[in-house]
Amino acid sequence: MRSLNFPSAMRSAIQRYGLAVLSVSVALGLALLVVRFNIHGVEFPLFLFAIALTVWYAGTKPGIVAVVLSSFAFNYYFTEPFYTLYVTAADVPYYIVFILFASLVAWFSTVRRRVEQDLLQSRDDLEKEVIQRRVLNEELAKRSEELQAINKELEAFAYSVSHDLRAPIRHISGFTELLQKNVATVVNDRGQRHMSMILESAKRMGNLIDDLLAFSRIGRAETHKTMVSLQQLVQEAQSELVQETEGRDINWKVGKLPACYGDRSMLRLVLVNLISNAVKFTRTRPQTEIEIGSTNHKPDQIVMFIKDNGVGFDMKYVNKLFGVFQRLHAPEAFEGTGIGLATVQRIVHRHGGRAWAEAALDKGATFYFSLSKSGERDL
Amino acid sequence: MSAFGRILLVEDDPKDVELTLTALDDYKLANEVVVARDGEEALDYLYCRGKFQTRSNDNPAVLLLDLKLPKVDGLEVLQQIKSDEKFKMIPVVVLTSSHEENDMVTSYKLGVNAYVVKPVDFHEFVNAVKELGVFWALINEPPPGSIKKN
Repeated sequence: MRSLNFPSAMRSAIQRYGLAVLSVSVALGLALLVVRFNIHGVEFPLFLFAIALTVWYAGTKPGIVAVVLSSFAFNYYFTEPFYTLYVTAADVPYYIVFILFASLVAWFSTVRRRVEQDLLQSRDDLEKEVIQRRVLNEELAKRSEELQAINKELEAFAYSVSHDLRAPIRHISGFTELLQKNVATVVNDRGQRHMSMILESAKRMGNLIDDLLAFSRIGRAETHKTMVSLQQLVQEAQSELVQETEGRDINWKVGKLPACYGDRSMLRLVLVNLISNAVKFTRTRPQTEIEIGSTNHKPDQIVMFIKDNGVGFDMKYVNKLFGVFQRLHAPEAFEGTGIGLATVQRIVHRHGGRAWAEAALDKGATFYFSLSKSGERDL
Repeated sequence: MSAFGRILLVEDDPKDVELTLTALDDYKLANEVVVARDGEEALDYLYCRGKFQTRSNDNPAVLLLDLKLPKVDGLEVLQQIKSDEKFKMIPVVVLTSSHEENDMVTSYKLGVNAYVVKPVDFHEFVNAVKELGVFWALINEPPPGSIKKN
């Protein structure tokens, strides 16, 4: 049996047993008083009340003491022969009933007390939980405010990059060109070459900044999701890449592609990036094979793949592949800033999917990305 | 600096000013340009205040406006111009480095006549500025009250 918590004033044994004695004494006093006024039949309930009170506030053991004390007092003062503890045989059942009844009252009182205690405990627990939740909510609100502030800061940063970094680049290339024009006859070949290198570098820096800005914009932009036909997007991506595919012998194998739920322009960018990569890295092949298709292993997921027979890459660098400005090829061999696959990954993540690749050096590469069909997970 | 100009160029970066003037010079338009180095100066010019007190009261044929400016920024200048009966007809072309969609949307909402992002590439920049200059200062018929061609 678990111990009950009594009010702090009722903790010590002396107090608890004292309550038993006190309550029975008071009941006895009141009973004697009412008997003096010739009112009978009130003694019994008075003692029961004293027992119940004792059990309620002091527990079971003081309750038993109260029962015993009440029995003696009742016997001594209120049953014939008066003022003796003598019990006639005829009174025995009467006493047994009294004791049983008193015990029953004591038991009820204990049970009630326990129930109340449990209820109080639950109430306290609930209160604690409410407080905890309030604290958590406040913390969440604070976090969300912090995040919003950080986002604002990022926007300001992107703005400043967009405006302040582009201007000096324009100046470098602008004045270098003016210089090139004005001193063409005076400067030797070496000087000319240096000037064109400055121009190239400035141009490259400009491209990097533009790519980085576009990349950061994808992270910040809201997605507008609709049903999108991947088949149509692939066609659009192909026609967008006409310049690169012109004069090339490319054998396209485009399978039947499903529709999915997502942001049209973002998914289009994913396909343009992946397909242009496939076109780019197969440039050294006399006959290019590019296969685009989808597999459907899980009911709620679409997996698209773009497979080429290009130069591929070593799988030991596969985890670098999707990083910002990561390149696995020399810039002389294949141009590009290295933002394309990072963009692909960011968009796919925002659609609740993932992007991965399989390849072998000189044996082509296959890029996969998964999209959830319902598109409910928007990250 | 001449107090008369058919093009008011509002640009804080002296290098951009020089590149812009170089580009406009190819069509002999550089003489027609008045440069304001911040938003306040641009408004001073329009309202003939401060150092522009003595200029004639005509409006420029076009205003080439950078957005990021000291003191009064470009969007504030634009708002001021488009809300003043006297100036709201002046064609305003925003010429900025900012690709940000917000700036573009705000500018158009305020009634800008064109929004041009300064190309990083010098050739493209020169071409853009030339075309702007030729179009707004020569081809386009400016609203009444503008400075007449010299």
